[in-house]
Amino acid sequence: MNCIVNFPPTWVNASKFETALKASCGPHALNTYTVAFNFPAGCKIMVDAGIRLLSLANQLASTSRRVRLCFEEGQAGTMGYLNRMGFFDHLHEGVEVNPSRPLHSAARLHHGSNSMLVEIARINKDARDAELPSRLTEAVKQACAGREDIGELSGAAWMIFAELIDNIFSHSRTPLDGYAALQVYSGGNRLSFAVSDSGLGIMDTLRPSLKTQFPNLERLSDTDLVVEVFRQGLSRHGSDRGLGLKGCAAKAIKFNAALDVRLATQRVLLVPARGAYEPNNAFCYEDLPLLWGTHIGFAFKLDA
Amino acid sequence: MNEVAKLVLPLRQFMDRSEGWGRNEGREIFPRLLAFVELNPSVVIFQISMMGIERMDMSFASETIVELARRFRRAKAFCLTDIEDADLVENVDAAAAKKEQPLLVWEGNSARLIGLEPSEGTREAFQFAMSRPSSRATEFAARKGLSIANASMKFKQLWEQGFLLRRESNADTGGVEFVYCRIG
Repeated sequence: MNCIVNFPPTWVNASKFETALKASCGPHALNTYTVAFNFPAGCKIMVDAGIRLLSLANQLASTSRRVRLCFEEGQAGTMGYLNRMGFFDHLHEGVEVNPSRPLHSAARLHHGSNSMLVEIARINKDARDAELPSRLTEAVKQACAGREDIGELSGAAWMIFAELIDNIFSHSRTPLDGYAALQVYSGGNRLSFAVSDSGLGIMDTLRPSLKTQFPNLERLSDTDLVVEVFRQGLSRHGSDRGLGLKGCAAKAIKFNAALDVRLATQRVLLVPARGAYEPNNAFCYEDLPLLWGTHIGFAFKLDA
Repeated sequence: MNEVAKLVLPLRQFMDRSEGWGRNEGREIFPRLLAFVELNPSVVIFQISMMGIERMDMSFASETIVELARRFRRAKAFCLTDIEDADLVENVDAAAAKKEQPLLVWEGNSARLIGLEPSEGTREAFQFAMSRPSSRATEFAARKGLSIANASMKFKQLWEQGFLLRRESNADTGGVEFVYCRIG
C-alpha cells in the first residue's frame, strides 16, 4: 500500500507535522510498503518538525520501505532550509529525494556561521560528543546576547540539552541515531529546541517497572504518566532517579516554555500555568500513527 | 571533644574538564573521589571545593557529590565551598533532594542548606546545632525545656539523615554521651 503524507503550504511545526501524519494512512502501518512525503510550494518545515521527520524517514528506510521526499520548490524552498540544517547529511541513503539530493551540504559549507540555527547534531552513544551541550548553549548565548537574563537562560539551556541528550544515551537502545537541533526565531525572542530518538520510548521502559517501583501510579493513563514524569521525576531505576526530565521541566518553566512530548502513538503538550506543568493543562492526543522513540520539543517564548 | 579532622576536596582536579555532564561521566569520576576519601581515613569532614567548575547537570551531581555524601552518611560528611553560580547550586540542590540527602553550602562563616530539609519536629534542633561547633542533647533540652530523651531523639534523627555528625564523649556523670557537630 502507498502512504502519502501531504504537508500544508505554510509553516510546519510539530503540531502541523502531526496533523499531516494523522491524515495519512500511517507510514509504519504493516501493509505500507511505500511512503511519500509531499512538500508543496510555501511549505516551511520548522526545526522541531524537521528532526521528527528525519527520525521517521530513517525508521521507515531501516524497515526496507521505499521512502520518497518530494519538494515542489526544490532547493529554493524548504529543501534549502533543511539542507542548511544538515538534514540530508543524516538522511538514510536509501531515501529518494525529488527533484534530487543536494549536491553539496549547505550545513558543511556554512558550518557554525549562522548563530540563529544550529545544524542537526547526531546523538549516538558510541560517538559521544562531549562538547555538544556547550556548543548548543553557545548558540543561545550569541543569539540572545542582549538579554539581561542571558546568564540564567544559558544555564537553563545547557541543563536541558545536557539532560535530554544524556537521557538518549542512557535509555534508548537502538542502532538508529538520535538527533538534536536548535533554532532561534524573531530576533532572539523565540527559541525552539528539539531532540528526537528512535529507541525505546518512555512508556516502554517505565510502564513495566511501575508495579514494583510506583504501584500507586500503575493505573494512570499514559498521558497522565508523562505529566508525572516531568512533575515528579519517575524512573524505572527507582525513586532516587528520574531527575533529568523533571530537572529540564523545572528550568523550562521559569521561562514559560511549552513542552511537546511525542511517544509511540501519543502526544502530550504541556503548557505552563501558574509556574508549573499541571495535568489539567496537558493537551493530549492519542491513537496517532506509530512513530518509534521519544521526541521532545521545548518552545521558549521570551519576553522582548 | 577533639577537633574534627577536615580536608578540602578540590572536585575540579578529579574531573577531566570544567563541565560535568551526565550520569555516565559522573560514574567515571566517582571512583576517583572514593579513592581520595579512602586515602584519608582520619578525615571526617570533606569540604568539596567547586572552584573551576563551570557547569554541572543534575545527573552528574547525583552520581558524584550526592552519592559520596549518601554513601558515607553517619560516618563522614561532605559540604560545598567556592560555589557562587546560582545554576550550579540549583542543580546540586535538585540532585540532593531526589536522593534525600542534605548538604551544606558554605560561604565564609554562613551556611545554606540544600537538598533534604529537616522535618518540622527536628528543625529547631538543627538550627541549634548549626549555631555552635558542637552540641549535646542535654544543652538543647535545657534551652527548650524538653526532656533529654526527646532532645536526644531529635539529634539522633538528624544524624541518621545526614544533617549532623556525632562522636562519643564522656559525660560529666561518668557515662557515654553523644556530641553532635555541624558539617563544615
